[in-house]
Amino acid sequence: MESESQKAYGLVAEFDTPADIMEAARQVRNLGFTKWDVHTPYPIHGMDQAMGMNNSKVGWFTFLGGITGFTTGYLMIWFMNAFDYPLIVGGKPMFSPYFAFPVGYELTILLGAFGTLFGMFFLNKLPRLHHPLLKNRNFAKVTHDKYFLVVEVEDPKFDESQIRELLTDNGSTNIELVEE
Amino acid sequence: MSSSTGNENQPAHVSLWPGQKELLKYLTLIAAVLALVSVNIKLDGNNDFGAQLAFSLLLALMFFLSICLGSLFLTLIHHLFDSTWSAPLRRVYENIATLIPWLAIPFGFLCLFGDQLYGWMAMESAGNPDHALHAKHAYLNKPFFYIRAIIYFSVWTWLANKLRYWSIRQDEEGTAECAFKMRKFAYMGVFLFAFTLTLAAIDWVKSLEHAWFSTMYGVYYFAGSVWTTLATLYALFLVLSKKGGPLEGIVGKRQFFDLGVLLFAFTVFYAYIHFSQYFLIWNANIPEETYYYVIRENGSWWDISMLIIFGHFFIPFLTLLRIDAKLSPAIVVPIAAWAWLMHYIDLSFNIMPVLHPEGFHWSYVWVDISCMVAIGGLLALKFIKKMDSAAPYPVKDPRLKEALEEQAIEREASEDAEMAKNGLQS
Repeated sequence: MESESQKAYGLVAEFDTPADIMEAARQVRNLGFTKWDVHTPYPIHGMDQAMGMNNSKVGWFTFLGGITGFTTGYLMIWFMNAFDYPLIVGGKPMFSPYFAFPVGYELTILLGAFGTLFGMFFLNKLPRLHHPLLKNRNFAKVTHDKYFLVVEVEDPKFDESQIRELLTDNGSTNIELVEE
Repeated sequence: MSSSTGNENQPAHVSLWPGQKELLKYLTLIAAVLALVSVNIKLDGNNDFGAQLAFSLLLALMFFLSICLGSLFLTLIHHLFDSTWSAPLRRVYENIATLIPWLAIPFGFLCLFGDQLYGWMAMESAGNPDHALHAKHAYLNKPFFYIRAIIYFSVWTWLANKLRYWSIRQDEEGTAECAFKMRKFAYMGVFLFAFTLTLAAIDWVKSLEHAWFSTMYGVYYFAGSVWTTLATLYALFLVLSKKGGPLEGIVGKRQFFDLGVLLFAFTVFYAYIHFSQYFLIWNANIPEETYYYVIRENGSWWDISMLIIFGHFFIPFLTLLRIDAKLSPAIVVPIAAWAWLMHYIDLSFNIMPVLHPEGFHWSYVWVDISCMVAIGGLLALKFIKKMDSAAPYPVKDPRLKEALEEQAIEREASEDAEMAKNGLQS
């Protein structure tokens, strides 16, 4: 609408085979790019390492969620049965770690799952309404049989001609500049 | 594939140290003699000789039965799921599972001490005020007990041998028939396995206290067994796949990762099962069930129960929680050794309070160890012999090639990860 001066988002390179894109990813990784990504129709074994990616940080959110759930479960049972409304049932103590356990265990799983889901959302900056790549018609093939490597303009090492050359040499069949 | 190490279809010579067979033979013999000496022990408040030996032998038998049955279970589920990752590991599972008939020797010896072990065997049913004795007489009587034991050993031996037979035939012929046969045995076998393991655990261990009830007992023994088996296998495969070992280049990162993941899963599973058993009894609070745990809170058995909670669950759970821990031999091997200790403690907790209600039997631990070394030594000798008699992995398994290709990718990926790390540092 008012975007007379369209800003470029990045270079999108199309590949025909997983082997090609894997090798291209290695090259891009070795050159020290930081703002780039690979999009494929299905997970490719070994791609994480080829891209030089570390283990996902989602696990920490799961762990924190789990710990929170466990503590909440125990505190809740203690608060209800031994503090707020103490009532003797079946000759059992007011509070015991045994009967608090099923609740603590279930809440560990529940909040652990929440931690995983929302941690993943947070790390992926989701939800978002739009992504520049979706404007590119060619990119739709990523859900079918093509493999795409994207280098963003914001990468400090971004140099359009150099990247075009590198990716063409590695078997890219089509390279386009996508706008924001 | 260039990953073949030139030992295809060749029997594996397992060499842990020079002269291993002689050493194992002597160890087994000395331990057996030492165990036999303990037949003369007369315990306080117990008029029978041989009681300590009987209980220790039962413990050692159940310990190694765990590992053999755990391996049989892993063979069965390998075929049931037609899995790729465990194809290179299958032969070792089969070799351990076919050791089961050797356990009939200690079991036969145990039968001599039936009356010392099992209260219900020694008691006269007629006119006895013990209601549980009458109620359970139809199941817990001597002839049926021995018939069942024969059935269990026959079923396990038959299953393990059939699976190994067709597996070795596959090595020679490579026909699809072999794979289908093994699958058929797996379909049938998994039901037979579940029934026989459950009943064997109930017969041999739970019936030590015949008045007690627990519907979780079979799966409780199963959970602990597979846990110990996975720990053992992790360490064993590290030895077998080291440089120059028979499984070098065959067993790799993927296999260790999955063994580690399963070990972690069974850590949780065991805790879940044991907690469920305890919790139901604690919550229902019925004297004929609670007495079992009341005995186990006396004296040092209290400390042993705490050791089970923390040592059998929390320590391995928290240690193996991280994804990279499962791949690190420096972490998993100590945990595997710890798992042996914990499984021994767990079995002691189940078996020994009957004989030593006052507390853990520190002064008789040597009898346990002698029995364990005697049985373990015998099985180790037979295992080495089994490994020597066939290829160390199923060379013509249709999934093997897939597994090896996957490993080539894994190797590439580790090189990538290494390069990326070094690149970032420089």
